[in-house]
Amino acid sequence: MDRSRRGTRFPISAGTRGGVRPGARAVAVLGVAVLAALAACGGQGSAGQAEGRLVLAAPRDLAAGPEDPYFTHRTLRVWEPLVTLDDEMRPAPALATGWERADRGRRWTFTLRGGVRFSDGTPLTAEAVVANIERFRRIAPRPSAFFSLDAGMEAAYGKLAGVRAEAGKVVFTLAEPVADLPARLADFYSMIQAPSAFGPGGDFTGKPVGTGPYTLASWSKGQQVELAANPGYWGGKPAFDRIVVRTIPDANARVAALRAGEVAGLIDKGALLPGQVAAVAADGRFRVTRTPSVLTHYLTFNASRKPFADPRLREAVDLAIDRKAIAGKLLAGTAAPGSPFLSPVFGALSDPGVRSAYDPAGARRLVDAAGRPARPVSILISSSETGQFPYTDIAEVLRADLEDAGLPARVNVAEATRAVMEAGDYDLFLSAYSVPNGDPDYLFRRFLRSDAAWNRDRNLGYRSDVFDRLIDRAAAAGGADERRELYHGVQRLLADDRPMIPLAYQDNPVVTSTAVTGLVQSPAYLVDLAKLAPSR
Amino acid sequence: MTRALRRVAETLLVLLVLSVLTFLLTSLAPGDPAEEILRRGGVQPTAESVAVLRGELGLDRPLFSRYLRWLLGVLRGDFGRSYADRAPVAAEILSRVPATLRLAGTASLIAVGLAVLVSVRAALRPRALDSRIARVVTVAVAAVPPYIVGILLISVVAVGMRALPTGGDGSPGAVILPAVTLGLAGTATLLRLLRADLAAVARLPFVKLAVAKGLSARRTVMVHALRAAAPGAITAAGVVLAELLAGAVIVETLFAWPGVGQLAVTAIRQRDIPIVQAYVLLTALATVLVLTLADLCVSVADPRVRR
Repeated sequence: MDRSRRGTRFPISAGTRGGVRPGARAVAVLGVAVLAALAACGGQGSAGQAEGRLVLAAPRDLAAGPEDPYFTHRTLRVWEPLVTLDDEMRPAPALATGWERADRGRRWTFTLRGGVRFSDGTPLTAEAVVANIERFRRIAPRPSAFFSLDAGMEAAYGKLAGVRAEAGKVVFTLAEPVADLPARLADFYSMIQAPSAFGPGGDFTGKPVGTGPYTLASWSKGQQVELAANPGYWGGKPAFDRIVVRTIPDANARVAALRAGEVAGLIDKGALLPGQVAAVAADGRFRVTRTPSVLTHYLTFNASRKPFADPRLREAVDLAIDRKAIAGKLLAGTAAPGSPFLSPVFGALSDPGVRSAYDPAGARRLVDAAGRPARPVSILISSSETGQFPYTDIAEVLRADLEDAGLPARVNVAEATRAVMEAGDYDLFLSAYSVPNGDPDYLFRRFLRSDAAWNRDRNLGYRSDVFDRLIDRAAAAGGADERRELYHGVQRLLADDRPMIPLAYQDNPVVTSTAVTGLVQSPAYLVDLAKLAPSR
Repeated sequence: MTRALRRVAETLLVLLVLSVLTFLLTSLAPGDPAEEILRRGGVQPTAESVAVLRGELGLDRPLFSRYLRWLLGVLRGDFGRSYADRAPVAAEILSRVPATLRLAGTASLIAVGLAVLVSVRAALRPRALDSRIARVVTVAVAAVPPYIVGILLISVVAVGMRALPTGGDGSPGAVILPAVTLGLAGTATLLRLLRADLAAVARLPFVKLAVAKGLSARRTVMVHALRAAAPGAITAAGVVLAELLAGAVIVETLFAWPGVGQLAVTAIRQRDIPIVQAYVLLTALATVLVLTLADLCVSVADPRVRR
């Protein structure tokens, strides 16, 4: 024992003669080498914004390649749609300057913007638009990194009987009346590119060829996209000649790149995590833009089994939850407490008359009246959602709120929530839902209608003829007022029935350096890169 | 010769078992790839479109027939197509191998260089202040996860000093921070082994003889002791290099380094199983190769093993 310990000392170390010690010299050499390397690579300065060139970062690739139905995300502004959405999710003109409805919504005529050319120089024609619509219908259903051509596609084109060019206009004929066709087509589903960009199978043959203010200069997967200003853009040349959007998946690394001045802004969904916003906003070099998003955090009930088959206990949960604490503290003020089923980004369709209440005493009374459940209720969250939002913390707060009300609870973090839900082995499911096209019919029909696959397969146990009839009438409603009233009715019904309750409406904070102005974000996380300009 | 053949046969068997494990583990992992792929844009897909995609991806076929198809493909070098963007997996991975090799190579140079430097220094002057500091720092670094080390390096060197980029592969210096992060993780393991080996060698008679002959301490350590300690160190270096390949997953994600590890992380998130399978199998293959290579090097360096 003693010998071995002594053995760790080299027996001859005392014999070293004077002069520079080898170890020390080697350390010095290494140190010099590192310093030299650092110096050689130094001087990055503010690469985030050089003359006419802007570098931004996003958490994911905003270009997905030639096999993707769109190739690039709408945010990059390489292509433009026929119809876009304004900040209240109402249809707004893009390549179509206007539209007319005829025959109670069986026929829609879109007028195209004049003098628009694709980036290859060919003009935008009604025939080109028809070719794009036909391509969409041919390749659907098709997954996309941005907006899969499935359910929303069905909502947009499901009732389409035909589309044709007629005297420079585009005419859609529908098998059944559709009151809000422009809204259903908005953004991704009415992307228009030069027909020559597509091969016979519908894939891109080369780069995307759009009409937008930027063209795709280069793209390397997992690293960055580089955009070049389109000199022939109908809306005038944008302020930056080049925009690079780097992909930085790690949230901490993204903010570090911003602080280091390598990027002049962070955009896209989840650009800043809720916990990062305060520190970045406090830094005078940056300007954080917070806009409401299409994402809402909901709590879904399993009403197909005890205890939540009892409406009194669903109401008890609704009253027991401290939504202000969840939105204000856990989501660090990046969300607003939820009340009506449709968040304020749905504009007038959201019913301001529905108000959620926080009433722990009332919740306790309801639990006492209904009887305490025999076993703890299970709060299910998905491990894939815990990265972006603090769902483990929120679930923990929910658990505490429920226990205060007399409902013992436990939290179950699952990798595959679908299997758990289909087995019916949950009582509450905390998750986020987005409706990027702002179409409430999509949400109601696909998730809550009595025959909806989600409702049926995942054991929500919500069956309501009243609800089914209301949403069918709302979808076919001709006038905006009628439609609004019907959807308000739907939300009042849901506030009583409580198959799902909204907990919080999520913002999506994005940020630019103060050297850049013009950052505008839509509720669907779209940023208009063409509006960005250097500040004077 | 027979020994080499047996070695090859063993390796093949290992790879076959690996292929079964890889396929089973990735296929039986919870989560439905079809659903995850359709949900990438943030919208919950409908049950109908999930069913269509499952059919298209062949996920509705029995597990064993899927395995056979996959294995036959792999033997021809065809790892299938990515579920997410339908690009051929083999090409996708190949295009990212150079970046990972550059990172892992630089990291192992740093790891081996630092480990040899510090352990030789410790052997020569165990009581010196820098040896003691090195010892403490090594333990400390070994205890801190690479992710944290990386964040610290980013905030000090990239954000604070603005000396190096925070990530990406945009300039020649960009490899330094990720490589140092990864290299430090390997240094700790390697250093402890090497120091112990050197200490053990120091007690051997031939070292004492060298000293008695009047050879300088430097020469004794650098030429004689280090060479005797080399076999253990080479084996360790093989293990460390394999560790680095695995550790690259975290470091590549943190530094947005366009390597295989980053590809794998994205693929895991999206349940892009063909990429995950290819990644796991190829990493396993690389590990087996590195370890075999390390064994060969040992037999060259140490005559005793050659028999």
